[in-house]
Amino acid sequence: MKLLFVMLLLISLNGCVQTRYQWGDYEKRLYNHYSNPADKAEYLEGLRNIIEDAEGEKRVPPGIYAEYGYALLESGKPLEAILFFNKEAELWAESKFLMKKMIQVAEKTAKTVTVAPVIPEPAK
Amino acid sequence: MKLHIICTIVISVALMTGCVRYTPKDLTNFRNHDPHSILVVPVVNKSVEVAAADYFLSTVSLPLGEKGYYVFPVNLVKRVLEDEGLSDATLVHNASAKRLSDLFGSDSVLYVTIERWDSQYLLISTTVTVEFSYLIKSGKTDEVLWSDRRRIVYQPQNSGGGHPIAMLIVAVVNAAVTKASPNYIPLAKQANMQVFTYPGPGIPAGPYSEMYMKDMPVNR
Repeated sequence: MKLLFVMLLLISLNGCVQTRYQWGDYEKRLYNHYSNPADKAEYLEGLRNIIEDAEGEKRVPPGIYAEYGYALLESGKPLEAILFFNKEAELWAESKFLMKKMIQVAEKTAKTVTVAPVIPEPAK
Repeated sequence: MKLHIICTIVISVALMTGCVRYTPKDLTNFRNHDPHSILVVPVVNKSVEVAAADYFLSTVSLPLGEKGYYVFPVNLVKRVLEDEGLSDATLVHNASAKRLSDLFGSDSVLYVTIERWDSQYLLISTTVTVEFSYLIKSGKTDEVLWSDRRRIVYQPQNSGGGHPIAMLIVAVVNAAVTKASPNYIPLAKQANMQVFTYPGPGIPAGPYSEMYMKDMPVNR
């Protein structure tokens, strides 16, 4: 009986609390990335899923576009990275200075490395 | 007799207030600088658990973002600093907040040090402890805007229905589970949640919060 009450209380509390942003499993993804840095593809996919979910609700957390952009840059996709650095800069004025720098870095990388063509993003 | 009762009341009231009281901080500096963005730099790790510094980084963006601040992407920042030759967190912490902010375009810098991240095994129970010190400095003037220190201790509850042998078995299982993979992350999250709470030890709401400038109005 006591347990039931506690459970009901937790459920009702859970219903009230909505986070400002849709973080998804960002914390877990980053943790996994640090515990197993070799698994870059999984990290990349995890971030992409978080962005897709958060964009659906228009609650993309600060920094996520930039983290994804950087992961793309590290995977040798500088042109795609630029798209996401731009998204971060558009959404968060505070990031403009850094994103401008990151875009310059990505452009430089794009020139020096032979790159696969940019795959256009699926329409949302 | 009467004196005895009064003494008891006075002592118990003193004990109770001791539990909930915290010293209100002077956040005038914080409010005057009004930071909109926070740069979380890599964490200095004083524990023996090498991975703790990175693991901690994964727990800090969410609470600060939810408070209404722009939080710089922690992993990108870490990697960029490494490229700049600052892969040692101690070096980063010795760099001025102004220099770091000039590099990233941030208003403020959060420096976190892991003081403790360990488990102590006794015969049948384990205590897991995390402790962090936090410091936010202005990116413009290097002034300290806020600081705190938090310790969270976790000791698995042994419940075996009161039967001594059952209790012993539960305790042994608890110790084994904790020893196999002590989970520090929930403790780190709890420390972060507590430390940034305002009113309380933490910082007032940031510009993306509906509580911005309402939970702590500008003085004067």
